[in-house]
Amino acid sequence: MSDNPLHTPRALNGRAPDVFRKGAWVPMREYSQNEAVDFVVIGTGAGGGPLIARLAEMGYSVIGFDAGAYFRPLEDFASDETSQSQLYWTDERLIDGANPIKMGSNNSGKAVGGSTVHFAMVSLRFRPEWFQSRTKLGYAVDWPLDWREMWRYYDKAERDLAIAGPISYPWGPKRPRYPYRAHEIGGAAEWLARGAEAMGYQWSETPLATVSAPRGDSPSCVYRGFCRVGCSTNAKQSQLVTYIPRALKAGAEIRDLAMVGRIETNAQGLATGVHYHREGQWHFQRAKQVIVAGYAIETPRLLLNSATDRFPDGLANRSGYLGRNLMVQSNQAVYGRMKEMVRWNKGPPSLTITEHWNYEDKKDFFGGYCWMAQGPLPLEWSAAVSSSRGLWGEALRQKMMDYNHQVGLKMVGEMLPSMENRVTLAEEKDQYGLPITRITYGWQDNDKTMIQHALGEMQRSLELVGAQDIWRQENDTNHLAGTARMGFSAESSVVDADCRSWDVPNLWICDGSIFPTTGGVNPSLTITAIALRTADRIQTLHRQGKITL
Amino acid sequence: MARYKGPRGAAGWALGLTGALTAACFAAATRGGRMARHPATPPRASEPPPSPEKATLAARRLNRSAGTLAASVLFDSAVEHYRGDFENRAMYTPIVTSALALAVSAHGTFDKSPAAHKIRDGVYLLTGVVGLIGTGFHVWNVVQKPGRFIWQNLFYGAPLGAPMAIGLSGLLGFFSERVRDTPIGQTPRLFGLPAGRVIGAVSGAGMVGTTAEAGLLHFRGSFHDPFMALPVTMPPAAAAALTNASLGAARTDRRLTRWWLRATAIMGVSGTVFHAIGVGRDMDGWRNIQQNLLNGPPIPAPPAFTGLALAGLAALDLMEDDSDV
Amino acid sequence: MSDTLPNPLDERYPGYDVLDKRLTPSWNDATRRVIDARLAVPREARFLNALEWRTLSALCDRVMPQPTYRPPVPLAAYVDQKLLSDTRPGFRDAALPPQRETWKNGLAVFEAEAMARHDQSFHALTPSEQEALMIEAGAGRLGHAGWSAEQMQLFFNGHVLTDILGAYYAHPTAWSEIGFGGPASPRGYVRMQNDRRDPWEAIEATPETVEKTRKENRNVR
Repeated sequence: MSDNPLHTPRALNGRAPDVFRKGAWVPMREYSQNEAVDFVVIGTGAGGGPLIARLAEMGYSVIGFDAGAYFRPLEDFASDETSQSQLYWTDERLIDGANPIKMGSNNSGKAVGGSTVHFAMVSLRFRPEWFQSRTKLGYAVDWPLDWREMWRYYDKAERDLAIAGPISYPWGPKRPRYPYRAHEIGGAAEWLARGAEAMGYQWSETPLATVSAPRGDSPSCVYRGFCRVGCSTNAKQSQLVTYIPRALKAGAEIRDLAMVGRIETNAQGLATGVHYHREGQWHFQRAKQVIVAGYAIETPRLLLNSATDRFPDGLANRSGYLGRNLMVQSNQAVYGRMKEMVRWNKGPPSLTITEHWNYEDKKDFFGGYCWMAQGPLPLEWSAAVSSSRGLWGEALRQKMMDYNHQVGLKMVGEMLPSMENRVTLAEEKDQYGLPITRITYGWQDNDKTMIQHALGEMQRSLELVGAQDIWRQENDTNHLAGTARMGFSAESSVVDADCRSWDVPNLWICDGSIFPTTGGVNPSLTITAIALRTADRIQTLHRQGKITL
Repeated sequence: MARYKGPRGAAGWALGLTGALTAACFAAATRGGRMARHPATPPRASEPPPSPEKATLAARRLNRSAGTLAASVLFDSAVEHYRGDFENRAMYTPIVTSALALAVSAHGTFDKSPAAHKIRDGVYLLTGVVGLIGTGFHVWNVVQKPGRFIWQNLFYGAPLGAPMAIGLSGLLGFFSERVRDTPIGQTPRLFGLPAGRVIGAVSGAGMVGTTAEAGLLHFRGSFHDPFMALPVTMPPAAAAALTNASLGAARTDRRLTRWWLRATAIMGVSGTVFHAIGVGRDMDGWRNIQQNLLNGPPIPAPPAFTGLALAGLAALDLMEDDSDV
Repeated sequence: MSDTLPNPLDERYPGYDVLDKRLTPSWNDATRRVIDARLAVPREARFLNALEWRTLSALCDRVMPQPTYRPPVPLAAYVDQKLLSDTRPGFRDAALPPQRETWKNGLAVFEAEAMARHDQSFHALTPSEQEALMIEAGAGRLGHAGWSAEQMQLFFNGHVLTDILGAYYAHPTAWSEIGFGGPASPRGYVRMQNDRRDPWEAIEATPETVEKTRKENRNVR
């Protein structure tokens, strides 16, 4: 490796890394700091990536900032859990509350492409009713978005990411055929299918953002199973290999290793640009519009840290909702041992799914959940066995020898929003001199009821296929949402349906933090669909003269 | 995204070349006549009595087509059953039988004797039966899987149509022996019907089946390369023309059919090149051969079309040699 | 390293060594770089002092006792290296100080409690005495002046176990032990179904087939 992407920015001097070729570059347009660009987008993940690409393709001048490194997967990614923590947001964050959330590998990426560089590629649509969960299902709040419009943007997102999915998906309204065919299901995934059939539930191949046949410069998936520590094949359709190259081609600039610490606002209460830290010093980039896409921790952190006399509680926080209603998803699991050699690490980890309890409303809790097959790598697995079973020493070493015989089912469940689950700033400072976050989280009764329901169901599924030595992992969570809720009014939300902040008209938030509720499926595809919609809305509003550029 | 970029460098050149070749064949096929070596059908009155040499020649051509099919199956089933780790001992069967079929077909192709050969006959019969039994095994494999006849299992389970390729090889070989056995002074017949018509119809049906399999697998590959449309468009047209010739009126002009079949035969062979390029395009290409030979496009599969097209051509010869057809 | 043959039941994948694949298509350059560096870790204290190192080593021996028929994974060295580079996981329980301080405090509590109860250093206690203290720590019953039982519990479950097991299962020796295929890029896997093995994957032995499997596994790469 000629350079270290973690220490020196790569997107400099009119070029950016070619993510498909070792040591190669692609041309990149650059903007001056003094030029007020049309848009700066802070964050290049599932929300920021599509926005940067679409806005650039519409002809706007755009700069995408990311605090993380600009990797070339083929030369920078090892098949190794430990060293690939280079993909995670490992800056310090304090956790507390009744059920503190584990951060880092679980839910936070720090790289160009964001968490999509290490996500499990599960690309699911929300159940339509979730956009109106208050009206249709009687809990939480409604979204200001119409599901039919979202359905169109899901179509677009699935095409852009070449999702590999089943010919017909068993749940929800009709959707077009996935652009790529589903992958072959592995041993662990087959046990989910057999369990579901024994329970009388439908199952399906999970729609995944990794190609099952070549696509452009992406070869097809090789089933190496290291998906969650970065794809060194480039089969995974992360932002890094999809929207970001598109954005560069359309004339956007990407600034890697560029940590935005503060959004500047003027006397009129408008954003004028961003202060960012790169190559050892602070800089200021002027901009006409600022879009924050840092996900549910860094987004409120940046806005809280951008407080001024005019906005003493942080930008876009007149409602007091900023940083509140943080949601994770229940990620409990049940594991067992099969007589057969399963070798569950082969292939993407979540090849099959059942969304039965997302679409079945006869239950004693609000919200829904799905469960998927599992295939953790040894490090993650040893941590789960040790923490959930309270094992160490020789007992643990012996249990670990069953690795190749293990199967597991893991839920992704909807936790309900609560004002008490929140992100605040702590006294402690990070390496940039910025206050770090304190993340406070506790499960509510509904969350606990759902978790117990899911654990019982997943256990039954494993029992029905003859798994032995069954046990439950009761403490895991993943994904983030909330903290900058989208809503119908400035009094009870941070942004409107277009992701535009109520308080600062040229400030936008577009990532998982705008979710009013989090649904019972992985959020990335919904974030991307909303980002695609936001780009279209921005263009429309601009044409109508409702945005000044 | 979706900006498709074709293969670069040598692969691109090879692709272009095979494409051009295929296109040339198309052009030739549509222009027909001028390049035809067979003169237009002679008038009935001047028809000479059926000659045993012609029957033997047709039989040898059928041996050649059976051999081509057998070769395709030999390598394809070897690769695929290796992929399946020879979990069941029976998975060696198609390799052995297709090797035998290949051997006797080679023998038959060079054998000018006007009589059937007992060993060849036996091997072909066995091969045909193995095709049928293999289909049973493959169906059994699929119904064991969760969801049974769902797309997942049609894509990734034992391919339901594949064993019939070796079955067809056996059947064509068996027909070849019957044609060879044609008594002097008679025209070749099968089941009391003109041999050319029967073999043409069988080859056409085989081509449709093979198209279905190629279509299924290319659908699995999302038709990510535009050339993947060729094997689901050319062979059905050839099959339709051949079936029409086999079941249609006697003494018609079959030159177009002949050229379509020739083009299809070339497409089958060039398919191996396309598939080889596909293997090279997968992760780390030919250096990662242990993976890509198994997970990439099957290199030995496409010549199955060649085998069937050759059988179709032999059938046309038989029809033209038969003054009643 | 001793010459004694292992208990057959202890070795599920006899003869399998994931490092045999180092030069195959299962490893790319990035992986070789990372694993080579891991195997070359200095086996000495660079961050902790001598006493802390001995306490840590004793904890490592209890958390992951290693068989004697192969060279042990130098667990204490990896924990020390992690502290030296201050590699963090991205979150910290608000009740704890940063990880370096947490480790130093936690190790000091084990040492202090050992002295208080047995008048001996923690590393000099018998394994069962050490384990007794560790179990108390994990259950939230072991506090010491200025360091609460709750902090000790968070330290034991969130740092001692996590860091030591994290070091062990990041090591090729552990991958070989559990039959994990290890690094897999550019070459991944082909045979996805249950009971199917790719030729570059470990073969599991039964008590009857240990020696046969050992020979077969030597050719797995």
